[in-house]
Amino acid sequence: MSGGSAAVPAATRALQAALAAEHAAVYGYGVVGAYLTGTSRASATSDWLAHELARDALEAMLRSRGAQPVAAAAGYQLPVAVKTAPEAAQLAVTLEDRVAAAYLGLVAVSVTAIRQFGAQQLQDSALRAAAWRGSTVAFPGLPPSSLAAPRRD
Amino acid sequence: MAAHPTRRVVLAAAVALPLAAVSGCGGADVLAALPHAAPDVALLRSAIAAEELMIARYGAVLDGAGAAVASALEPLLAEHRAHLAQLRSRLVVPAGSPTPSQRAAVPAGVPSAQGAALAYLRDAERTAAAALLARLGHAPASLAQLFASISASEATHVPVLDQAAAR
Repeated sequence: MSGGSAAVPAATRALQAALAAEHAAVYGYGVVGAYLTGTSRASATSDWLAHELARDALEAMLRSRGAQPVAAAAGYQLPVAVKTAPEAAQLAVTLEDRVAAAYLGLVAVSVTAIRQFGAQQLQDSALRAAAWRGSTVAFPGLPPSSLAAPRRD
Repeated sequence: MAAHPTRRVVLAAAVALPLAAVSGCGGADVLAALPHAAPDVALLRSAIAAEELMIARYGAVLDGAGAAVASALEPLLAEHRAHLAQLRSRLVVPAGSPTPSQRAAVPAGVPSAQGAALAYLRDAERTAAAALLARLGHAPASLAQLFASISASEATHVPVLDQAAAR
């Protein structure tokens, strides 16, 4: 998991960070689904599968680069305490926001295929987050601190 | 930034987006990409023009067939204005130089029926999101991140417009 050696290429480090975020999302969506019923639960299951597919894709990309994919942790500290359906939806939003930030790390990589993969995954994550949140945001994945205060034109 | 007085326009990208806050790595890539300003400015200007056109399209629809669904369209338009402001903030134009950024004319051919007008905006969002992704490979890291984020935001507008059309 750790070992930020300077010998590890930036692309590999970014892929590992995205994979770690996907491991956490796969774990988290298991909790999300447990507190939902009906169509919400079906959405959680569908999103959970999407994260498993993304995780598998990232593992394959890392192996093709000769890197050992980071393993999932046995358990994760949930960022949001979940006891109700609205809290489960809030957890899903938080999981997606973290995944989105990790995929923006892939967009910064100079390898075109990895950059495009990151951008596509960011888009998918933003769509899931908007569905759970019930509203859209202007800058998915970007922390507010990274945005310049707009000028008056 | 002020070390290149002959350069009329420089990117403020690295200042605006500390990459380390996003991914914890790759900061060196951002710094390495900075000296190639001219192509980046062209990318930025074309993204700015695309946002201006999108805002003009929303304005035309809101003035016409979309007035009844303004509550659905206004938040999306506000996000486009935020995109435009952020893109403009990445351009540093020295005092006294002309700003070639033109205000987009009201586009022709905006449908007059509500359903068609919403489909028109949806198609425009899809096209704009795809166009930004197509430009990613040519952008320095931090600008690519901004393009990817804006593209993702535009993609999330598509289901909102579909839901507004279904009401």
